[in-house]
Amino acid sequence: MRDVTIGQYYPANSIVHRADPRFKLVIMLLYMVMVFFCESFFSFGFLSLFVVITIIISRVPPLKVLKGLRMILIVVLITTVLMTVFYSDADSEPLAEWGIFHIYLSGIYASIKLAWRLLLLVLMPTVLTLTSTPTELCDGLESLMFPLKKMHFPVHELALIMSMALRLIPTLIEETDKIMNAQKARGAQFESRNPFKKIKAMLPVLIPLFVSSFRRADDLADAMDSRCYRGAKGRTRMKQLHCHVGDFIALFAWCAIFVCLLFLKYNWFGWGFIALLGL
Amino acid sequence: MISVRKLSYIYSPKTPFAKQALSEVDMEIEDGDFFGIIGSTGAGKSTLIGHINALTRVQKNSGTVIVDDVDLSVKKIDFKKLRAKVGMVFQYPEHQLFDDTVLKDVMFGPKNLGLNADEQKDRAKKAIELVGLNFDEFAERSPFELSGGQKRRVALAGVIAMQPSVLILDEPTAGLDPVGKRDIMELVLRIKEVCPTVVMISHNMDEIACYCNKIAVMSKGKCVGVFSPRELFGCKELIEKSGVGLPLVTQAAAMLNAAGVDIDPAILTENELVDALVKAAGNA
Repeated sequence: MRDVTIGQYYPANSIVHRADPRFKLVIMLLYMVMVFFCESFFSFGFLSLFVVITIIISRVPPLKVLKGLRMILIVVLITTVLMTVFYSDADSEPLAEWGIFHIYLSGIYASIKLAWRLLLLVLMPTVLTLTSTPTELCDGLESLMFPLKKMHFPVHELALIMSMALRLIPTLIEETDKIMNAQKARGAQFESRNPFKKIKAMLPVLIPLFVSSFRRADDLADAMDSRCYRGAKGRTRMKQLHCHVGDFIALFAWCAIFVCLLFLKYNWFGWGFIALLGL
Repeated sequence: MISVRKLSYIYSPKTPFAKQALSEVDMEIEDGDFFGIIGSTGAGKSTLIGHINALTRVQKNSGTVIVDDVDLSVKKIDFKKLRAKVGMVFQYPEHQLFDDTVLKDVMFGPKNLGLNADEQKDRAKKAIELVGLNFDEFAERSPFELSGGQKRRVALAGVIAMQPSVLILDEPTAGLDPVGKRDIMELVLRIKEVCPTVVMISHNMDEIACYCNKIAVMSKGKCVGVFSPRELFGCKELIEKSGVGLPLVTQAAAMLNAAGVDIDPAILTENELVDALVKAAGNA
């Protein structure tokens, strides 16, 4: 159970690690939009270049980043294969035909783009979670959601619940580990092929886990109460979020990349070449 | 007999979080021993005992653990047999209770051993009575409505019902009041009559000095040595080096000795202290 990584933070000292999480989140949003504006192979390559640069300056071993793609790889493979064989293009002759399956050259191109897009979509969030701690992300989100506060939306409470849930994941994993070991010591076996048996075998773990979660929640509430916690009003932070010049530069750079991509896509005023100069 | 040879263990190897928990630990626990393991937090005590039950597997090229001729460093071992032989009681064992009645919970172990229903119930009954609970009164009650001390007894019964020949206890008295502590330790002595070998981790030096016949001192993943209680608590340098405290009685004896009373500072139990004081009074 120890191998479960949800907050898969990779500690290192880099510009990307030190950057303000709010800016990282905004850039992420911008990036997601950008991925959907990519249409030509050139624009994909253009965007990928900056992704690679980000990975290099984040000082996270590239292998670690690629590991984050492992989960999505199978989805990418399946969609790519399906896209290739079911693509239909009325304007050209299929390269190969086999029953209901047709392979067109444009189909191959389209599926490569699809795979590329999916990989790009997963790659940057992976880098984000590798370079920022869950707490940083939560604080960033809370700070970014401040307009909702004006509409009496419980932003602080939401952020608190989120950060508490994130904080308790490792604790719960540890607890599960302990209880599983205790039951294993009493001869319980969790490695069964039969799914029904497997669920039944998990009961002696789940029940104590629930009991201890409730106990923990009670204790936590008491601890917060005894420290006079009373919600967001008048509450200050130990770790203030600070933005630096570098954060603005990064945001500006990504905006510039976005503009370049737009020029590439729409070729405004015939100025699509400007993206090339931008390189 | 349990023999540990050159055992090392690393948590999360090959990551930035890698942590050496054990390094080249050698230890021998003989049948009939009441074996104490002491050391400060993070010394590797819990990791070490996890190995004896194969809950923590021996890593590649990191030594061997042998329990009664069964080598635990090989890949395939008979878990059922091993766990029937080595009973393990974790810290706060009451957190493992799950079933709706005490009887069913205690029967969980024997059931996993594949015994027939009568045998399961028979063993559970014996175990519940051994831990000092009235079978007829407690068998059909929910373990969640019992008091803390009773829950711990039920959890102990759940392990004992497997009738192990080695019992491993990880701080069995943690979080109990002095009376509860003494009750549990007396219970452990009673259990020792049917389960001859007991291994106990404890931070309570009074218990260690009073009950154990051998004590292993662990520090930073290494085994400093295995001593008899008198060797350990009688030797000032050893105590200081291993960073453990003295039992209360021994502290009192040492202070009396320093104040000029003619008694041996290596005293381990209250009775010994009383005897020594009577003797000292007679001499004076």
